[in-house]
Amino acid sequence: MANMCTEVADPESLAELVRQSLTDSVPLVDYGRVHEGVGHPPPSVHTRFCQTIAAGGDGIIEHYTRDLTVRVSAGATVRQVNEALRPTHQFLPLDADEDLSIGEVLMHDVYGPLRAGYGSGRDLLLGLRYIDGLGRDIHVGGRTVKNVAGYDVGRLMVGSLGELGIVYEVTLRTYAVPEEVRVVTVALTDPDTLSRNITNLLLTDASPTGLSLHGDASGWRAIFRYCNTHGGCVVQQADLERRLTELAGDTARVESVQTLTPEADETARTAERAWRRQADLLVKVVTPPALTGSVAALLREGGWRIDALPVHGCIFVGGEGNAADALRLDRTINETIDTHGPLGGRGFRVWYNRLADADLIAPFAPPQSDYALLCRIKSAMDPHNIFNPGRYLRG
Amino acid sequence: MSLAHPVINELRAIVGADGVLADRDELLVYECDGFPIARGLPTVVVFPTTTQQVVDCVLAAKRHDLRIIPRGSGTGLAGGAVAYGSGVMIVTTRMTKIESIDIANRVAVVQAGVRNLALTEALAGTGLRFSPDPSSQRAATIGGNVATNAGGINTLKHGVTTNHILGLEFVLPDGQVVRTRDHGLYDGIGPDVRGLMCGSEGTLGIVTRIWCRLAPAPKHFRTIYAVFSSLEGACKTVSDTTATGIVPTSMEIIDGSMIRVVEEAFHFGFPTDAEALLLIEIDGIDQVLDDQLQRIVAICHENGATTVKQCADETRRAELWSARKKTFGAIGRIARSYCTQDACVPRSMLPTVMREIKEIGKRFGLSIHNVFHAGDGNVHPIMLFDEDDPEDVQNTLRCSQAILEYCISVGGTITGEHGVGVEKLHLMPKMFSSDTLDAFNRIKEAFDPERRLNDGKLIPSNRVVIELLKPTAANVPGGAL
Repeated sequence: MANMCTEVADPESLAELVRQSLTDSVPLVDYGRVHEGVGHPPPSVHTRFCQTIAAGGDGIIEHYTRDLTVRVSAGATVRQVNEALRPTHQFLPLDADEDLSIGEVLMHDVYGPLRAGYGSGRDLLLGLRYIDGLGRDIHVGGRTVKNVAGYDVGRLMVGSLGELGIVYEVTLRTYAVPEEVRVVTVALTDPDTLSRNITNLLLTDASPTGLSLHGDASGWRAIFRYCNTHGGCVVQQADLERRLTELAGDTARVESVQTLTPEADETARTAERAWRRQADLLVKVVTPPALTGSVAALLREGGWRIDALPVHGCIFVGGEGNAADALRLDRTINETIDTHGPLGGRGFRVWYNRLADADLIAPFAPPQSDYALLCRIKSAMDPHNIFNPGRYLRG
Repeated sequence: MSLAHPVINELRAIVGADGVLADRDELLVYECDGFPIARGLPTVVVFPTTTQQVVDCVLAAKRHDLRIIPRGSGTGLAGGAVAYGSGVMIVTTRMTKIESIDIANRVAVVQAGVRNLALTEALAGTGLRFSPDPSSQRAATIGGNVATNAGGINTLKHGVTTNHILGLEFVLPDGQVVRTRDHGLYDGIGPDVRGLMCGSEGTLGIVTRIWCRLAPAPKHFRTIYAVFSSLEGACKTVSDTTATGIVPTSMEIIDGSMIRVVEEAFHFGFPTDAEALLLIEIDGIDQVLDDQLQRIVAICHENGATTVKQCADETRRAELWSARKKTFGAIGRIARSYCTQDACVPRSMLPTVMREIKEIGKRFGLSIHNVFHAGDGNVHPIMLFDEDDPEDVQNTLRCSQAILEYCISVGGTITGEHGVGVEKLHLMPKMFSSDTLDAFNRIKEAFDPERRLNDGKLIPSNRVVIELLKPTAANVPGGAL
C-alpha cells in the first residue's frame, strides 16, 4: 500500500480513494509535478496519487464561450486546456509551465510575468469542487463572475499546498487571445533602478502585461511583454523606449524586440524558466516590489541565477550546488529578510529544491503570524489529517 | 423598568463614555442596516478607535456571554449588521486612520473604519487608487467592503474587493488578534485566509486593519451612452460585447421605469420614453480605445439602439456616472421602502433572465425597477413596498425568493455583491448541499467555536432560526426568531 502511485481521472474514483484512505488511516500525498521539494517531506507510509483526465478528453468539462468562463478538470494540464480553447480564440492566462495541471497551479499559487496584466489564478478563480477530509463532495463558488454566497473557500485553497482538500474541478475566467505579443528585452547593469521605479512604470502607457528580470553570468536583462492589438503594442513599445533611461537607469538599452504569436510566447516563457526545474537548489524569496532589484542583486553576488517578477516582488534564486551551498544560500536569504536585514522583516522565503540531505534548512521562513489559525482551519477541513500531512501545517 | 446591563459600564471604561450608546432612542439608529425588513436592537453599541479597544470590547462581551455584531457604516443591503435583540454591536466607524500610503510598493494601510471614498481622496494626485467602488462608497467603510467583498461599477475589469486586499488584521471572538499577510507583500505562505475573510460578513472575525493594494487609476476613457427601445436589446448588447473578448471597465443598464424615476428626481436629460439606457465605459491606452469603441458602437446598433452617443467631455461623463450612482437615492422619492435583489447570472443569459424577472414581478403584482451591473451579470431588481403593511412585506419577500430561485435554476447565485446576511439565509440550502453547508459550519467553528460572532448570518445556524417569510410583528429581527 505504502508509496504506490495511483492515477485518478474522475471524482468518483477520487472520493473512493479518500474513503479508502480514511478506512486504512494511510494519508494521501500529491506534491505536484514540479513542487516535490516544497515543504516538509511526506510521512513514510502514504498513498501517492495524481489526477489526470479521462482518456480521450481535453480537460474541459464545459466552456461557456460567450461568458468567457470555463469549467475544467483539475487534472488537466495548462497545455491541454489552452489547446482546447484555441479554436474559440480564448485562453487561460495562467502563467505556468504548460505541463502543470490546473490543480497544481492553484494549490501552489504559481504565477509568472503575465500576472502583471492578467492577474494570477487566484484572480481568475470563480468556483471549485473538492473532496474534503471526510470524503464529501463540496462545491463552492460557481460560474458567475461575481458571487459572495457562502465562504470563499476557493480562494482559501489557493496556495494551500493540497493540505485542505483535493480539488478536482475548477471554474475560471478566460480571456481573448491577444492579437500580438511584443517582447522587448532590455540589458541592464542595475536591476535596482527598474524595481524602484515600478510604480512609475505602471502609471504609463509602457505598463507591461508581463515583466521579468533575469540575472545570470551574462548580466541582467529585463523582459517586457505587451499583449495587445498590433497598434497597442506599437504605442507601448514606443513609450517604453522613450522612458527607458528614466525608468531603468542610464545604462539600460534595448537588446532585442520580437513580435510573437501568443503560442510562441508561451514557449518562450517556459524556456526562460526551464533552468529552475534543473536547479539543484531553488528558493522563492518575496519582498516588497520596490526592493526586488536590490535584493536580487544582493543574492546574485553569491553567484546564483535569478528570475524575478518586480511588479510583485517575487524572486527565484538558485542554481547548481551541494548541501553546504544550500546552507550558505539559506543564511544569506535569512539575513536579508530578517528584521535587522535590508527587508526589515518584510519578506519571506520558501525552498523549492533544497537537496534531500539539507535537513538543517526549514522549508519556510520566517514563521507566519497566521500559522496557528491555519492549523485550526486544517483540522476543521481535514480532521483526520490525510491530505499531505505536515507539509506546512500541523494537523 | 430593566436595569442597565453591566457590560455597558465595562465598555465605557474601555472606550470612554462618548464611545458607548445604550439608550433606547440612540440604539434605534442601529436597529437595521440597508435592509430595513430585518430589525432588532442590540444591548449596546460601542465605538472603539484601536485594535486593542476592539479586543477589550470582545472580551467584555465574552465575559457577559453576549453575542457580538460587527458593523461598519451600516450600508449593507442584506441585514448582515442587525442585532437579534441583544448583543454588543461593535461599530468601526471611529477607526478612521489611514496609517500609511506607500506609493513605491502600491500599498495603503488603513484602519477598518476608513471610508472607501476617504482613501480615494487621500490618493488624489498619486495616479493610484483603491479600485473597489460600491455605490455607497461615500459612507461605506473599507472594513465593510472586506466583510461583504464589495464590488461596484468598476469591477467588471478591475475586480472586486478580494482582488485588492493584500493583508488583514482581525480580532477573533476569543480576543486573539490575527494578522495575515500583513507586510504588504503580493504573495504569502499557505492557505489564503485573507480570501476567506473577504465576504465572510463579520462571522469569522472583526477586521481592524487592512493592507490595501493600490492600482493605477485609468487615465483614458471612452464612455458610451446607448438608448434602447427594449431592455432585451440592451442586455443582448452586453452579452455580445462580452463575447468579443473586449473587457469594458463597466457596462451598466438602467431600465425604462428607472430612467423615468431618475429623470424626475435629478433631470439628467435622459429620454423618458426609452426602455433601457446602457452605459459602457472602456479604459486603457488612448490610441487603442477608439477601435474598441467602434466595435461596441456597432454592436449597439446591431441590437437596435436608437441613439448611441459618446460622452465628449469629462463633465458629462462625471454626470452620467453620478446619475448611475444616484439611482437608488431617486427611489426614495417614490416609495417608503424598497428591497433590492442581488442575483448574479451568467452574462450570456441576461436577456432571458430580465424577461423572466419582469414576468415574476407581474405574478406578484409588483412593478420592478432595474438598475444593474449588466457586465457582471449582476442584476438588482428593485421592489417597492410599504414596510408598515405586513402583507406587502411578505409579498415582496416572496417575489424576491421567486426571482432568486429562478436565478439559481439558470446557473446563477443568490448574491453577487450584497451578501447573504439574514435576507437570503433561507436560500442557502437551495444554493449549497448539506455537506457544503456543513463544511462552512466547520470553518466557522474553527474561528468561533462558541458561535458568538454575528451568528445566524451568512450560514444557517442551529442556535438562531430566522424565518423572514413568516409574518410577525414589526421590529422583530429577521421577521421572527
